[in-house]
Amino acid sequence: MSDEIEILIEGEKVGPADGWSLAWVDHHQRVAILRRGPDREVVAVEGSGGEWVVTVRGRPIAVNVRSHRDRLLAESGRLAARHGGPAEVRATLPGLVVRVDAALGDEVAAGDPLVTIEAMKMQNEIRAPRNGRVVAIEVVLGQAITGGALLVRLADPEP
Amino acid sequence: MTPPFRRVLIANRGEIAIRVARACRELGIESVAVYSDADRDAPHVRAMDRAEWIGPTPAAESYLSVGAILEAARRSEAEAIHPGYGFLSESAAFARAVESVGLVFVGPPAETMEGLGNKLAARRTAVAAGVAVTPGLLVSAADARPSEVEDIGYPLLVKAAAGGGGRGVRRVDGPAELDAALDAARAEAVAAFDDGTVYIEKLVAPARHVEVQLLGDRAGGLAVLGERDCSIQRRHQKLVEEAPAPNLSAATRTGLADDARRIAQAVPFHNAATVEFLVDESEDRWFLEMNTRLQVEHGVTELVSGVDIVAWQLRVAAGEQLPPDVREPTSSGHAIQVRIYAEDPWVGFAPSAGTIMAWQMADGPGIRLDAGVEAGYELPTAYDPLLAKLLVHASDRPAAVTRLRRALDETVVSGMPTTLGFHRWLVDQPAFTDGRYDTGLVSNAWVDGPPLTARDRSLAAAAVAGARGELTEPRGDTDTRPAGLDRNGDRPWSRLARSEAVDRE
Repeated sequence: MSDEIEILIEGEKVGPADGWSLAWVDHHQRVAILRRGPDREVVAVEGSGGEWVVTVRGRPIAVNVRSHRDRLLAESGRLAARHGGPAEVRATLPGLVVRVDAALGDEVAAGDPLVTIEAMKMQNEIRAPRNGRVVAIEVVLGQAITGGALLVRLADPEP
Repeated sequence: MTPPFRRVLIANRGEIAIRVARACRELGIESVAVYSDADRDAPHVRAMDRAEWIGPTPAAESYLSVGAILEAARRSEAEAIHPGYGFLSESAAFARAVESVGLVFVGPPAETMEGLGNKLAARRTAVAAGVAVTPGLLVSAADARPSEVEDIGYPLLVKAAAGGGGRGVRRVDGPAELDAALDAARAEAVAAFDDGTVYIEKLVAPARHVEVQLLGDRAGGLAVLGERDCSIQRRHQKLVEEAPAPNLSAATRTGLADDARRIAQAVPFHNAATVEFLVDESEDRWFLEMNTRLQVEHGVTELVSGVDIVAWQLRVAAGEQLPPDVREPTSSGHAIQVRIYAEDPWVGFAPSAGTIMAWQMADGPGIRLDAGVEAGYELPTAYDPLLAKLLVHASDRPAAVTRLRRALDETVVSGMPTTLGFHRWLVDQPAFTDGRYDTGLVSNAWVDGPPLTARDRSLAAAAVAGARGELTEPRGDTDTRPAGLDRNGDRPWSRLARSEAVDRE
């Protein structure tokens, strides 16, 4: 584990330790207490790999962890996206997946519906941001999703 | 004590169904749960002695289906039905239907609901009882712009006369805006109700929302159990309630209680109801409406009055009379309730969805929790997103605020955004700690919520760094999974189970 990591919150790098020590309050529910001198806070820590959510004072905070390798991949991903490369389509609101309109391998045009999400009693069609090929569908029918959840990955259309 | 009933069906779900079931248990009454398809494994079903399936997930086909609920009551041989709040609790038709099959409806009589359910009828009742209502005016479709509007003064509210609730309400700040608002409200009123009559009402702002709890028996005995302040609201929905209302003169407190008593005596009334008022800066008060049911915030009144309102609902429904210590309870201390909703305060209190991962609740002196969920519970999106109510009781208001802050620091919910983040912010606001706030607090002071602090970021980063160090990542597994198929393709509990398995190795 010599891999050097970077911790990002709202896109900004945050120093990792900062003098806090962690002890689990409930390992099963991922609840921990952090202490730093006289200061203390009980938080929930969910996630794995690169995507985490820490609930601090009732507020869920998205935390991204990137290794050196991830940073290189992200950089090449940005380059690829600029050239019409892979795209991640995400939910804008929390809700329920009520229809999966796209199938794996589908060639879709910009504006084609991919997934339909019901949120606040309204159905929202999540559409393809550009032409492409569906290379992964990350949700299933009936699944409850959070805002920002990854729905579909698009790759370049077949030549 | 002989139980008031042998068996009661509770026509509701979630935390309020469990609250009513607890009262039943303490009174020696058998409780019958009802559940839809989505609620087969819900905590409220397990909390009761029996359970009856009432239909598919949509509320219209289950919790709102009078036929299905009466059939469940017949099958389970219940003697009475407690409606909780929401769903059918304020339906006069339901109350009549229950009585018509020979069962007892645990709530005010249908006549009370009819006399006070419609906003205009309620205002007429209040005026007849000598209780002040906000100055208002009915404007028929033919009347372009009545001159009496100027007597009401600005700002004012314009809305369709038919129908109820906060829908289609327009604020008008001056004469220049009035014609456009009248036209728009008329068009909407015609479209929605086929009746172009609109209603103009003085807007009281800044105002506090203060309400009085009533309990009545069938022999005319009436208890006025004091007032609650429910001013902290979003979208006209309450978030925080407290009893007694802070910073109110003794004269206003007595005046509110007397007004509530007069309204209750103007209609046939028994069981539990609440009379709502607006109170402005100079403590003038206006009747708003009467809720002919148990309220979500009944618990704060229970804590300060010592009266178990739900138990007494059941007892008076069975014909028992209110004893003197309930009619004239001695109020003690101060109580505050915060509602834990699955809503994201940072995105306009939009409903959130998901599975509850962590559910750690406050404990210790002066804490009461009325919850309807638990860790591992997947929230159905079909129903109201109220997860639980956290209540504190202490000797006075400052002690109650301190206790609430302590309780919130002990409370951890994860898996979805909740209103806990708002509540934790609230208890540090001078307007709240001083008890000087009005119904505009959420829109004026919270707005879209505070940004992350340096401490928030530092804690979140440290938690992730610590958790990564503590948890052994199933590295081989992770590496062979196709990219992206971790968080979204997998249910949280299977993820948890997998890492637990690794932990045991």
